Amino acid sequence: MKIVFGIVVFIGALIVVFGSPIAGEIPVKENRYGSTEPILPMSFAHTDHAQQNCIDCHHNYVDGTGGGLCMTCHVTDPKIRPLLEKQYHDLCRGCHAEKAAEGIEGGPPRECMACHLGDDLP
Amino acid sequence: MKSLLATFAAVFLITFLAAPTMGAGWFWDTGNAIGFAAFGGLLYLTVTSNRRLDVRAHQVLGYGVLFVAVAHAFWFLLGDAVVPEFLKPGAPDYMWLGLVSLLLLGILITVALVPDRMRVHKDYPAFKYWHRVVAIATVATATYHIVVSNFYLGTWYQAFLFVLITLAASFGRAYWIKLGQLPIATNLAYGLASIAFGALFVVTRNLPL
Repeated sequence: MKIVFGIVVFIGALIVVFGSPIAGEIPVKENRYGSTEPILPMSFAHTDHAQQNCIDCHHNYVDGTGGGLCMTCHVTDPKIRPLLEKQYHDLCRGCHAEKAAEGIEGGPPRECMACHLGDDLP
Repeated sequence: MKSLLATFAAVFLITFLAAPTMGAGWFWDTGNAIGFAAFGGLLYLTVTSNRRLDVRAHQVLGYGVLFVAVAHAFWFLLGDAVVPEFLKPGAPDYMWLGLVSLLLLGILITVALVPDRMRVHKDYPAFKYWHRVVAIATVATATYHIVVSNFYLGTWYQAFLFVLITLAASFGRAYWIKLGQLPIATNLAYGLASIAFGALFVVTRNLPL
């Protein structure tokens, strides 16, 4: 039993290190948007979110805490860089969850791959 | 069988208390239904571990729970190419603790068997003590993994109730013993309960209602 469990753990470790052989395209973690640390690609289509109020995401339009692209601050500012994953997950997933809970068609919060394959959408 | 169904009902019903139809797609919800089935099995093993324990039945069901817990992990590791990133340095603590819980469960089961048990523990009371301590640590880390990942327990009262049933299962031993010898379900019954509750969990969240 311990040998079987050991083999299972070993296979799991291989998948973590080398990626899943059957999950399709594996997103590449690399320095993006000026980040000094490798980060996953993220997809976001403004055209799919046209009905949202801009300031739902672009807080800097009203609180004057930054400018330029979101990533300009969120991956380069050493104070908020460690919060990147939590802030973006909370924002994206939280908003989709709220829409779904209200019965508004906004799509459910999806699996990781639905957002973490990069795209060139505006 | 009644105690198995009661344990599963407690675990799954809490997930339905708020936004019961909100899901994240068939793939994601199925993987998490498997995870909740593993957690239900873990709590059931804890609740049924009283003084007159049928050790062989407990051991066999332990294999079943470990299998389902491993299936939960591999479902996501194999099916979503981003998930392995969640188990690398920098990953959220709730993912690390999910992994710790799985490893503790594996150790708990493999070290409980003779002759390994004899090598690790000098006598049976020492084994029983440490088996219980590691079992509670396994349940605690799994609870943290589920509650803090916050995928299905989005309200404070869901999190509160989930922690409450975990504490009751882990520390309500004096009460569970009064219930007498709870017959331990077979892996077939555990598998059927997992499929039934898991299917309800997935279908409710994904069928257009």
